[in-house]
Amino acid sequence: MKRKILALTLATAMAMSLAACGGSSTTAATKAAAGTTKAAAATTAAAGTTKAAATTAAAGTTKAAAAGTTAKAGSGEQVTLNLIWWGNQTRNDVTKKACDLYMQKNPNVKINVEFTDWTGYWDKLSAMAAGGNLPDIIQQDYAYITQWHASNQLADLSEFIKSGTIDTKKIPQSVIDSGSIGGKCYAISLGSNAPCMTYDKTITDQAGVTIPDQMTMDEFDKVCQTIFEKTGVKTFYSNDATILQTTARSLGNDIYGELKDGKDTSTKVFFNDCATIARKPYAVAPDILAEKNAEVVETKPIIDKTSWNDFAFSNMFIATSKAAGRNLAMTMFPAQNGAKQQSMYLKPSQFFSISETSKHKEEAAKFINWFTNDVDCNLILMGERGIPVNSDVAAAVKAKVDDVNKQVYDYVDKVSKVATPIDKPDPAGKGEINDLLKTTVEGIRYGELKADKAAADFASQSKTILEKAASK
Amino acid sequence: MKADSAAGVKAVKTKKTFTQKLDTQGVAGYVFILPFIIGFLAFLLVPMIMSLVYSFTEYDILREPTFIGVANYIDMFTNNAKFWDVLQVTLYYVVFSVPLRLVMALLVAMLLVKSTKLSGFYRAVFYLPSIIGSSVAVALLWKRMFASDGVVNGVIKLFGGQGNTAWLGRGDTAIWTLIILAIWQFGSSMLIFLSGLKQIPVSLYEAATVDGANGPQKFWSITLPMLTPTIFFNLVNQLINGFMAFTQSYIITGGAPRDKTLFYTVYMYKQCFTYNKLGYGCAMAWFMVILVGLITLVLFKTQHLWVHYEAEE
Repeated sequence: MKRKILALTLATAMAMSLAACGGSSTTAATKAAAGTTKAAAATTAAAGTTKAAATTAAAGTTKAAAAGTTAKAGSGEQVTLNLIWWGNQTRNDVTKKACDLYMQKNPNVKINVEFTDWTGYWDKLSAMAAGGNLPDIIQQDYAYITQWHASNQLADLSEFIKSGTIDTKKIPQSVIDSGSIGGKCYAISLGSNAPCMTYDKTITDQAGVTIPDQMTMDEFDKVCQTIFEKTGVKTFYSNDATILQTTARSLGNDIYGELKDGKDTSTKVFFNDCATIARKPYAVAPDILAEKNAEVVETKPIIDKTSWNDFAFSNMFIATSKAAGRNLAMTMFPAQNGAKQQSMYLKPSQFFSISETSKHKEEAAKFINWFTNDVDCNLILMGERGIPVNSDVAAAVKAKVDDVNKQVYDYVDKVSKVATPIDKPDPAGKGEINDLLKTTVEGIRYGELKADKAAADFASQSKTILEKAASK
Repeated sequence: MKADSAAGVKAVKTKKTFTQKLDTQGVAGYVFILPFIIGFLAFLLVPMIMSLVYSFTEYDILREPTFIGVANYIDMFTNNAKFWDVLQVTLYYVVFSVPLRLVMALLVAMLLVKSTKLSGFYRAVFYLPSIIGSSVAVALLWKRMFASDGVVNGVIKLFGGQGNTAWLGRGDTAIWTLIILAIWQFGSSMLIFLSGLKQIPVSLYEAATVDGANGPQKFWSITLPMLTPTIFFNLVNQLINGFMAFTQSYIITGGAPRDKTLFYTVYMYKQCFTYNKLGYGCAMAWFMVILVGLITLVLFKTQHLWVHYEAEE
């Protein structure tokens, strides 16, 4: 009996001493100190706070918590921000470097970064939201902000803009508007972007074709044919929501408006395009396409010359060029023959939002402000996410960019001259529709589905999906 | 505290003190397994119950769930062709991968049952694939191997074939790359077969030889019947594992082409996190539980027809 009590006491003592040991890491201790600021130093064990004071002194952080005085939480105490984005290797490297620079300049802030590629990002974010551990700063996309805002996951940034924490003097109002819903801003755009068809200039030169700024579908067909005959390189035609949308825009239609009503007007045109191209000798075989993932930069068909072209957004150009290791060029998506309007548009490439559950919204807003407006930061990022929204920063970066980058600036400039306003943000349910679209087009490519019937089925199924998603 | 001993002869049983209660063997046992129980409750039982509750709600993760009764289940069975498609794909996978895996395991086990100098090494080597099992790394490797410019085609070219089939892109072959991956990982079943084989009394084989039986006869009349308990065990285990397969489908093919390799679990995952229909996903999960449970129950109930337990003689 006595032995039992002795053993228990010793074990407890051991556990407690371990906890004190654990506090020797700067962040943990200073966090503990910060956490008790309101409660004042008296509450926690004297050992704890003196240790905290000692470690803060040792770490040399400015504005040390002064061993738990009633400093306002957020004034120089150690803060850890969690940041998540989707990207490719290039973006991951430069963003990490930028975060390191910020940490250097703001020693009281630690930024934990996390990143995935596009295909797994939203699943992961949903899982994090379900677990209640969304990072403080989340990269958002125009297609998804409606859904995330509707479920109150995004913090209202208007107060930070009003107070100047997020400086918007050099950012066009339209950019702020693109991240606003109901007049309040929920997301800060990180760059401007436009859909573009990337192509391999070497191959096109070899085939003796010049690619104009924008082709019609007939011209596109002739070009693909010539390239295939002269060089044997095949053509890739995309199957995702972007190209369906530009096809609709070319015809003067709003695709999600159509699908909501179960109309298949634009879908029919797009599916017929897919079917026609898939039957041509110059199209990449569907089974080869199935084993590649065109949404991940490193496995795009253009990288290993499976195709001479690729459909993407202008801000993926740098990463794609790097992965391909050779010179690529950009042109606009082909327009429908006799198009009613210009299908190209400028899109906010990504946004940074602050999650509503974040405990450090002020610090997060400061980081976003720095990320958007600081020239040094953007000289590291080099417009990888798109043309910087701050006009001064954009000018400073453009002067320093290399040739590959300059191509992006020039292309976005060209598009901005002819672009029509972007469609409204995609409605809830677009994830399921996108999956359905990809599988359907795959079926068309394999010849298992007929374009017209597939379009009708797709439209009616999308209608159901949108209805169910909207009713929530 | 101790009952009043003044009660005299009546109080035959005295109440134990608290510390005496702690002293009994049973309590000590519970304390030792407490970590496991906490883990079981927190990570298994509670989530399972939550999942069951969620299956009766509509829950898009970003907002509070709303109760909708059995609507998810009804929608699943009557309104969703894709549900039956993925179920079919998963059944196809299980029906082929499990028996073939067991056959491979048995064959290799029989080869390795003799303890030669290198048999230990071979056993380790054959067991290795099943440990690194359904890992992402192996899946990525497999994807590269079967790509149209991958190792498999390279080997085919060596033997003079065309060597440019896109195994992962063709509807009829894609699922077989996954089945072959499952068969390749026969190691753990093999080890269990090995131990089962070693338990067969050598005297039976000796008696058979005396009676003039040849190899195949010995196999069908002695080995196989004596192994039936092991086969049963492996069968149940591998069936359950087969239905739970996720990584292979998600990483290697992503369900392509045309959802012909979309496993039940992957579709369930998509419902939960890509389409934000967690309630629906949970309903799918519980259907799978019931399905696998039923299959296991049938196996158990029919085992008396073919499984021969030595002890029952």
